[in-house]
Amino acid sequence: MKAMVKWIAVLMFVVLLAGCGSSKPTSPAPGAAPATAPAAPKAPIKVGGIFDLTGGTGDVGKPHSEGVRAYVAYINSKGGVDGAKIDLQWVDYAYQTPKAVEAYNKLTKQDGVSAVMGWGTGDTEAMKELIAKDKIPYISGSYSEQLINPATTPYNFIVAPTYSQASRVMLDYAKSKKADAKVALVYNDSGFGKSPLEDAKAYAKKIGLTWTGEVVVPLTASDAVTQVLELQKMGADYVLIQETTNATAVTLKSAKQQGAKIQFMGLAYSVDENLIKAAGDAAEGFIGIPAFAFPYETGAGIKEAVDFAASKGIKLEDLNQKWIQGWAFGRIMSEALKRAGDKPTGEAIRKAFESFKDYDLGGLGSPLTFTATDHGGAKKARIYQVKSGKWQPITEYLAPKQ
Amino acid sequence: MNLRYPFTMECGQYRTTYEQDLAFHPSRLSTVRGWVIVAALFIVPLALSNYYVSILNQVSIFVIAAMGLNILTGLTGQISVGHGAFTGVGAFTAGYLMKLGWSYWLAMPAAGLVAAAVGGLFGLPSARLKGLYLAIASMAAQQILEFLFVRAEWFTGGVHSMTVLRPKLFGHSLDSDYGFYVLVLSVAVVLGVFAQNLTRTRWGRALVAVRDRDLAAEVMGVDLWKTKVMAFALSAFYAGIAGALWAPFVMIINPEQFNFSLSIELLAMIIIGGLGSVTGTVYGVIFMTILPILVRSVTQPLAVLVPAIGDKLLLLKDIAFGGAIVLFLVFESDGLAKLWRNIKDYFRLWPFSY
Repeated sequence: MKAMVKWIAVLMFVVLLAGCGSSKPTSPAPGAAPATAPAAPKAPIKVGGIFDLTGGTGDVGKPHSEGVRAYVAYINSKGGVDGAKIDLQWVDYAYQTPKAVEAYNKLTKQDGVSAVMGWGTGDTEAMKELIAKDKIPYISGSYSEQLINPATTPYNFIVAPTYSQASRVMLDYAKSKKADAKVALVYNDSGFGKSPLEDAKAYAKKIGLTWTGEVVVPLTASDAVTQVLELQKMGADYVLIQETTNATAVTLKSAKQQGAKIQFMGLAYSVDENLIKAAGDAAEGFIGIPAFAFPYETGAGIKEAVDFAASKGIKLEDLNQKWIQGWAFGRIMSEALKRAGDKPTGEAIRKAFESFKDYDLGGLGSPLTFTATDHGGAKKARIYQVKSGKWQPITEYLAPKQ
Repeated sequence: MNLRYPFTMECGQYRTTYEQDLAFHPSRLSTVRGWVIVAALFIVPLALSNYYVSILNQVSIFVIAAMGLNILTGLTGQISVGHGAFTGVGAFTAGYLMKLGWSYWLAMPAAGLVAAAVGGLFGLPSARLKGLYLAIASMAAQQILEFLFVRAEWFTGGVHSMTVLRPKLFGHSLDSDYGFYVLVLSVAVVLGVFAQNLTRTRWGRALVAVRDRDLAAEVMGVDLWKTKVMAFALSAFYAGIAGALWAPFVMIINPEQFNFSLSIELLAMIIIGGLGSVTGTVYGVIFMTILPILVRSVTQPLAVLVPAIGDKLLLLKDIAFGGAIVLFLVFESDGLAKLWRNIKDYFRLWPFSY
């Protein structure tokens, strides 16, 4: 008898699990009255995600992917996009390009997704031909200006200030502080690292600053004293950093150690909470342009995100800037799907993106405008500074002056 | 003959000459089996969806690269952790030559030859270095080539990637996954048969002799230096061809695709599959390509069911890999090929195994 009760319990548990699993995409929220028959439910819209949770950039890729999934859960809990749920099919590709290609093939050929949210620079680059061939609108964490021209990459959309655009805003800032500033760039030998180099150099010359040169700090560097000494020798006083958290922290610490009088200015992936943890005191006074806002800022869009997280039991302290980035990705993609209407094909979503005009993200990031000739959505960027161990905005959203 | 039990190929075989012992196919039935397998490989994917065909493409390309490494590591006993870079040499050479206006059908073999030359060059230290020291020397090859891929922009396009279009055959572009698969599979079969035949030649036996005891091989008249360098060149040729197929498969290549982890992955493939075995290489590549996909398709639904563990399940993939490699090294160091042979032996001898 006892054994039988046990078996029934196990059976019920299994049924419960199965029920949870299968009911998730379609059934209404528990407790909703089944009596009122809802309007014929639309077929869910399939969207793909290629994330890095376990690979080289997993530290920032994981909160990003959680942010995307949180937004999808949020929009689906509100009834989806015009009544159609979003069915997010995602894959962890561990930051390996061949796996990303395989994942992309799975999502587009097997699952039949109509748009994809990707991640790294290397893999976004590697797939741009496939993306154009398959007509799959693609937004990714690679904010390279090489991807904004629809003549060469018709289905890539850049949803944050490109590295080049952020450099221009930063150089304007340097100019406003010191009219004859000598500027330089710290970068690394990858597509990501080199992306803003030429544009920043050209803009510095255009606004009358002196470009003193550039130095390489590898992404995995453990010290950058040589490079800092070289920057000092060049006489640079405002230096852009295009790196990820580790190399940025290493550079800042080496500069502090050498007592260098240099104002460092970080772009996108050098700007987040982890940097402050990694660089400690050396981060104080560092300025930067993050791709999206921080969760502790104010704004309707941020409040929405934080409130939803709170309803899932996630505290504000556990959220970070990359989570907000993921959330913003979800929101931008949903808006495009909404504008694409009833038949969200690749072409329709592309048209929908190109109808964005000053689309306001409610404080999550800079407003987005896409046109048929320009897929670099964010023309404005906002500068932040580390003050008493916290990133604080110090300007409004600014466009480059020239 | 006709009454024989059809699945027991070894039944009633009497080898009376040395040639029979060395034959590529020990019996007529195994010849037939070979052709049936090849035909099936070409025909069955017609019924599969594009996604599965694209996986098959990936598997076939990796098989070619891993077979090359297996000639070097499995047959000749020289360790290389630079094969990822040799693959890259092939890919970039093919892309560069096509940019110069070469036809793909010339560029692909040329890419293999260039990779062979580069492989031979970096194989030179093998004359003096053995074991771990050689492994470190080949790692240097990987680093140097990676640096060149990034810096030699005139050749590789540097970090801004290089676009490689799908080749045309009789004016018809191999755009579809199946069309490209036919090309990749044909190359893989030809190179596979070549590798299998290699062990039956004088030179192939010299390779094995070098692996088993280089001093003894030298005493018997094998030119060690020449043999080792040729083995490096041949294995890099395979890698180069694989690269030249990979480039039009993904259609865009950049240095990040041919990094150190690719070299390590190739090495893991042949260790799991079986060192020195062509069929083992195929098993190893299938295992290493399919396992992550399988684990993923199992863990992702699980992660939805058990949100508390959630994404941590994804780490299972890495644990499964590490575990598989350790288990193979401990229990069956000859890899999947030996495991398969053991299973066959069991059934062959059943019920009278002793």
